[in-house]
Amino acid sequence: MNKPVPPPRLRMALIGCGQIADAHLQEAAKVDSVEVVAVCDMHMDLAKQAAARFRVPGIYDNLDRMLAEAKPDVVHITTPAHTHGPLTMKALAAGCHVYVEKPFTLDAIEAETVIAAAESAEKKLCIGHDQLFDPTWLDCRSRIAAGQIGHVRHIESTLGYPISGQFGAVVAGDPRHWVRQLPGGLFQNTISHPLYRILDLLPDLHPRVEARWDRTKYDFPTELWVQLRGAEITGSLTFSSSVYAQRVTRVYGDQGMLEVDFDAQTIRRHTAPKLPGAFGRLEMPFRQWREGARNLQRNLWRFLKCEIHYFSGMRNLMAEFYRSIQQDTEQPITNAEMLRVTRIMDEIFADCRSREERVEEFVPETRELEVVR
Amino acid sequence: MNVFLTGGTGFLGRRVAKSLLERGAHVRCLVRPSSDVRSLQSFIGHDLWNGVELVTGDLTGVDACRRLIGHSDTVCHVAASLSGGTAVMFLNTVIPTRYLLAAASQAGVRRFVQISSLGVYEAANLLTGAQLDEQTPLDSHPELRDPYTYSKIVQEQVAWEYRAQTNLPLTIIRPGVIYGPGRGVLSNRVGLKLGPVLIKMGGSQTLPYTYVDNCAAAVSQACFAENVDGQAFNILDDGLPTGTQLLRKLRRAGQGVRALWVPRPMIGPLSSVYEWYSRWSQGQLPGVITRYRSDSMWKKLNYSNAKAKAQLGWRPHVTFDEAFDRSIAGGQA
Repeated sequence: MNKPVPPPRLRMALIGCGQIADAHLQEAAKVDSVEVVAVCDMHMDLAKQAAARFRVPGIYDNLDRMLAEAKPDVVHITTPAHTHGPLTMKALAAGCHVYVEKPFTLDAIEAETVIAAAESAEKKLCIGHDQLFDPTWLDCRSRIAAGQIGHVRHIESTLGYPISGQFGAVVAGDPRHWVRQLPGGLFQNTISHPLYRILDLLPDLHPRVEARWDRTKYDFPTELWVQLRGAEITGSLTFSSSVYAQRVTRVYGDQGMLEVDFDAQTIRRHTAPKLPGAFGRLEMPFRQWREGARNLQRNLWRFLKCEIHYFSGMRNLMAEFYRSIQQDTEQPITNAEMLRVTRIMDEIFADCRSREERVEEFVPETRELEVVR
Repeated sequence: MNVFLTGGTGFLGRRVAKSLLERGAHVRCLVRPSSDVRSLQSFIGHDLWNGVELVTGDLTGVDACRRLIGHSDTVCHVAASLSGGTAVMFLNTVIPTRYLLAAASQAGVRRFVQISSLGVYEAANLLTGAQLDEQTPLDSHPELRDPYTYSKIVQEQVAWEYRAQTNLPLTIIRPGVIYGPGRGVLSNRVGLKLGPVLIKMGGSQTLPYTYVDNCAAAVSQACFAENVDGQAFNILDDGLPTGTQLLRKLRRAGQGVRALWVPRPMIGPLSSVYEWYSRWSQGQLPGVITRYRSDSMWKKLNYSNAKAKAQLGWRPHVTFDEAFDRSIAGGQA
């Protein structure tokens, strides 16, 4: 009997050879259905270094020329956020499917335009919400489905993002940095991950949004607090530049809680003690110890199988996206979901700005009081 | 002489600025909006500060660089990225250098002094014990090196390209590992830090080091010296220690480091094993150690600073013992 012939690999090209491009090129090499044919950057030096390290044959500093000559099936867009919309439109117009890094677009209006263009061209889109496909998050989802915490009631996402880090320091040192020109500033470039982790379990199209940002020692907002209220589920997001780097989401159900630590690649389950009084105080540490032992065993096994990779989620998402193109099935992340996340981000930043304006309006009164004193 | 200096608030740059000022140059010093200018001012001192002109900006384009250079007749390009991935290094080192070279060429400066690195040579293919000097070719496989070295090799290639295309008078300084107060004396030439433990690689290889004041003097001399157009100079101090000697000296100074020793014959095979595992596991452990990199980094070589002494007239005035004491007193092993 003849073996089934695998479908031909899809030709991938990448535009924007900055830091995150490395992750795309590294993970693409692990996906059987991908053949990387070209890289493009407005700086030829950047395109050349990416091509040299990842052995990519096509090197371009002009997108039009790359689209015409390399003829990719899929274009990955890993450029600064404000260019995502126009570049996606260009790639769609050239007949390509597009994988675009987060955030999807500058705002929901641009997102609607891009999605309309993709639907009209019958091309597929993918947004870099890769942590939804991280093995630890997939495990969390399956444990929720198995009823380990009952019905989900609240999701809490924390992103610790010290500004002293590599990218943060560059943004802080340059008042004209593109990140600071975004409508949501630093947050627009960073909160997609903690936000979509909440929205993955909070299905409301229009949850009520309350948000506030604040400054620390920098001249731009670096702290953010968001409350989301759906019909049955609530969410809260904390972005802080003053705590250590962390990516943690806690999912609270009516019977327990799952804590997902993306950096440690662990999941810890908490439930109320079954034993009464003081016995419960012994039961709880024992259960926590058992959870820790399970996580160690799980990660040790994954390590032995060479499965611990920072961008595992990206590889899984990429594989799903390429499969959806080859088999013409539904995208791993729907256009409606991309639009929903973008709309909610718009609402978050609008609410932050309106609160900031109200605080600024309040300032003169305080000054008057000081004068009176 | 009017010198446009980049990186003037940094570890080496501030000392280059001071050295230039002491020799009577006017220094137009590039600072970023976030730069610590007060610290620079206190380092330079009140008497010399009058010779400093601060210009705020970024090397973000040829026109911007042209404005920043102003009427300077010499460009001394010290600024470079020291950390980050390859793309970040290129973005912060190679691309600004391209802009600055083009602007300097347009401005018709009398000299462009570029700070490169001793790491740019193809040391991996040299025999153990071979001499490494300015005749040694640049690495023909820079993409196999670490991100910093890769960016410095390409940065230097770009500078040579500009000289060939525009006759820009170019002098390249290739310092070894620059150490001094605040930066300490340990580097990855001795070994790799793994948490609190140092994996000491070999130990009998001479460390290609230069004390920051000695290096600054060489850079300053490159701005003034005659007949050095189109020349590159290795900057290394005299009387350099081996890795073992340095660690022993640190221990005697009460700054002992917990070290795990990898004997010289084991470095190559272990690097190959690590490289294989990294590839086989599809990057579960990052490919930071490869056979090529360890051959480039930890080979026993003879380094020469003879050309800098002969043609630049430079001497490393601070001896290693004095430099070591100053570095230890300044904090950080």
